[in-house]
Amino acid sequence: MSKTLLAAPSEPCEAPGRSRRRELLLAGITLLWALVFVGATRLIKSELLSPGALPWLVAAAPCVAAVFVLVAYMRFLREADELQRLIQLQALALGFGGGFFTICGYSLFERVGAPPAGVELATVMPVLYALGVLLGERRYR
Amino acid sequence: MRNRLKVLRAERDWTQARLAQELDVSRQTVNAVETGKYDPSLPLAFRIAHVFGLAIEEIFLDDGERPR
Repeated sequence: MSKTLLAAPSEPCEAPGRSRRRELLLAGITLLWALVFVGATRLIKSELLSPGALPWLVAAAPCVAAVFVLVAYMRFLREADELQRLIQLQALALGFGGGFFTICGYSLFERVGAPPAGVELATVMPVLYALGVLLGERRYR
Repeated sequence: MRNRLKVLRAERDWTQARLAQELDVSRQTVNAVETGKYDPSLPLAFRIAHVFGLAIEEIFLDDGERPR
């Protein structure tokens, strides 16, 4: 390969420090979303809310928080370096794939008498995603 | 694919963190490339070559290839 290739411009730089900050911000916002979701669920179940607009607003709160989580995640991915992106891709594959097949699979168990699963079954996705991140971090440590 | 990253880094007395800073990637990425757990993309390989002032093939070697 010619030495002139050495002068080829490099790719846009990733900034690991900034990426780390984005990772922490993402973790914080995700935790906030979880708190809002649990709080909203409890409030709605408690039936303390009088009928009207308020229950709808409470139900919408986690959706609004989720938008912030998604934006933070997209920004984190944009600033992550290529290995971190690979780890995320593999974790997302495990989380999405595992979650999808678990939900589909459990629906058959429900038909043959297993207790009906609520929205709690969807927690399989983030749990498997987190497992995927841990496995990736361990593999490329 | 093998590479001479660890040797080149040692010749310059650089830590993985220092090389990571030069390359604008995480230390984990430098370590994964060094240990052969991860093969870098072509743009990153170019950046590595640029940082060491060498050609890519002087750093990265095919498994059956001898270092030049």
